Amino acid sequence: MTNFFLQALAEVGTPSVLGLIIIGVLFGIVGGSIPGFTVTMAILVVFPFTFAMDPVSGVSLMVGVFVGGYSGGIVSGVMLGIPGTPSSITTVYDGYPMAQKGEPGRALGIGVASSFLGTLISVAVLVFFGPLIARFSMNFRPWEITALIVFALTLVAGLSSGALLKGLMAAALGLLVTTVGYDRNSNLRFDFGLPAMGSGFEILPVMIGIFAFSQLLGNIEKLKDEKSDAKKIDTNVTIPYGLILKDMAGQKLNTLRSSLIGSLVGALPGTGGTVANFLSYDQAKKFSRHPEEFGTGTPSGIVASEASNSAVAGGAFVPTLALGIPGDLPMAIMMGVLILHGITPGPMMFEQNPVLVGAIYTSLLIGAVVMVLCNLLLVRWFAKISLIPQQILVPVVLMLCAIGAYALNNNLFDIWVLFIFGIIGYLLWKADVPLTPLILGVVLGDNLERQLFRALELNESWLTFLTRPLSALFLALAVASILFSLYQDRKIQRLKNAAQRENI
Amino acid sequence: MLTLTKDRALALALLLMVAVMWMESGDIRPPTSWQPYGSALFPRILLVVVGLLSLLILVRSLWVNVPERPGAIQLITDWFQSRRTTLALFLLFGLYAALLPVVGYIAATIGFLVASLALLLGIDTRRKWMINLTLSGTLAIVIFIVFRYGLNVWLP
Repeated sequence: MTNFFLQALAEVGTPSVLGLIIIGVLFGIVGGSIPGFTVTMAILVVFPFTFAMDPVSGVSLMVGVFVGGYSGGIVSGVMLGIPGTPSSITTVYDGYPMAQKGEPGRALGIGVASSFLGTLISVAVLVFFGPLIARFSMNFRPWEITALIVFALTLVAGLSSGALLKGLMAAALGLLVTTVGYDRNSNLRFDFGLPAMGSGFEILPVMIGIFAFSQLLGNIEKLKDEKSDAKKIDTNVTIPYGLILKDMAGQKLNTLRSSLIGSLVGALPGTGGTVANFLSYDQAKKFSRHPEEFGTGTPSGIVASEASNSAVAGGAFVPTLALGIPGDLPMAIMMGVLILHGITPGPMMFEQNPVLVGAIYTSLLIGAVVMVLCNLLLVRWFAKISLIPQQILVPVVLMLCAIGAYALNNNLFDIWVLFIFGIIGYLLWKADVPLTPLILGVVLGDNLERQLFRALELNESWLTFLTRPLSALFLALAVASILFSLYQDRKIQRLKNAAQRENI
Repeated sequence: MLTLTKDRALALALLLMVAVMWMESGDIRPPTSWQPYGSALFPRILLVVVGLLSLLILVRSLWVNVPERPGAIQLITDWFQSRRTTLALFLLFGLYAALLPVVGYIAATIGFLVASLALLLGIDTRRKWMINLTLSGTLAIVIFIVFRYGLNVWLP
């Protein structure tokens, strides 16, 4: 293990890679601190810059963005009272009141320290469980992998609040996108007579189009609801280091519990930082001796929120690296980036690319240290940057998306793919179709088809999927996740109806 | 007459897409003894799933009582009118994609940024114009230099 880390450190510890991690963390914090920008968008903007890099450099830069992005939400959460990312919503509950009481430095310091510890604990979880799950999943044959992908897609679709049918439909649509172009047998499908369609759609322009356009244009449409007094905030912040150390000393259990919740939730498909955030805040409140203080500016609330959302970073890498199945949207994009660099995430990665796996662990650790330093030293600047208006951000990010799509293969067709899927993504978003299952479908489609037909070529009976215990278990879990979502949907509907009746 | 709602529009559009793709899947090479399942099976399974789910969405949307609203054309026109800025931005992006190979990266990017910043920021003050032009010019050139000389990526 020591040798493994030393080898990885030798790869990541070079000045150029360290520089990239610092840039990544800085950009991630900036991205996370701008309300409405999100970690996913920050990753999307940075990914074209990794094309010309070697895998270790590219992945280190992306990991930096990932770590910085999850911690960046605290800046706008504390200073503006607006969560920079959805995963820092509960940070606002206590961070903002503490800042309003004249202690913004204390709130930011507690948040940053919790983020740091959350990331460290999640890396420990990743280092321990990643190889363990990968070793176990080495026994998976095509039947199990097919069933596992189906389970992951149904789980993500089912978690789309109150929209099970649309979630499942989005997942199927995502899979359908991957059937365009030449297939595994070199047969052409759905080219509609257009030669450019023959090679199919690149994953990244499709993902960027679907996600970026809906998100950015959605931000523009929401602009009129934004408060105009945001510019009046005081960005002159002093960090009281001694007080923060004292605060953190009393939060050991809360930090550990919240970080473990974050890591676990991060490892589950379809959940991510937002769920971790609410779950650990709720648990911290339940375990607290003073639950009445939550929401008034207590350090416990900030710790629960920030430790858990930062711990998602390490946890989310577990299924992506060990099984090749991304848990959430940022991880789906991260997986796209790994594929772009010729690396197929999955159990074999631990055997074929151990240095890269080590580089990810090490980058996460270094990123956590850089994140603390950057946040504490540059918080004043991040607060100022978080005020950049969406009217300026949106055109700039759209332009970067176009250049990113083009630079992928120096192909103008990819910009059109981006544009068309941008329109599709926007319209689907307007129709309340959840986009995460769609994007996961796009990422997993090729593998699903390959594994399904490999299974059928090995044994032509479809019943084999039900006679192999693990495959049957995953399929049963898929059915259970759908049934559970149906139950949840009905419950939500009943509550809505009851509320309507009360209003009448 | 049936009122157009989000769900109904979505379901109908998807059913149309499924029908078109199903017909197009007829052009895919049929199964052979070497490829007993053929290349059309997987997309057809997905088309059936999408079709069935769209039908379910459509049927469910018919159960919901919707207050009487103007006709479909009027609704679509209103929808477009209330999203003029979004549509203009889409249009500018499409124009940008079309102009990139014709006028090159720098001119097309500056044009896109100036036009979209003008659309979103407004052009009512001299300060806004200054921000717009400085940002568009600087950013287009900086990105070009980073890609061309830093990352060795040739932009059109």
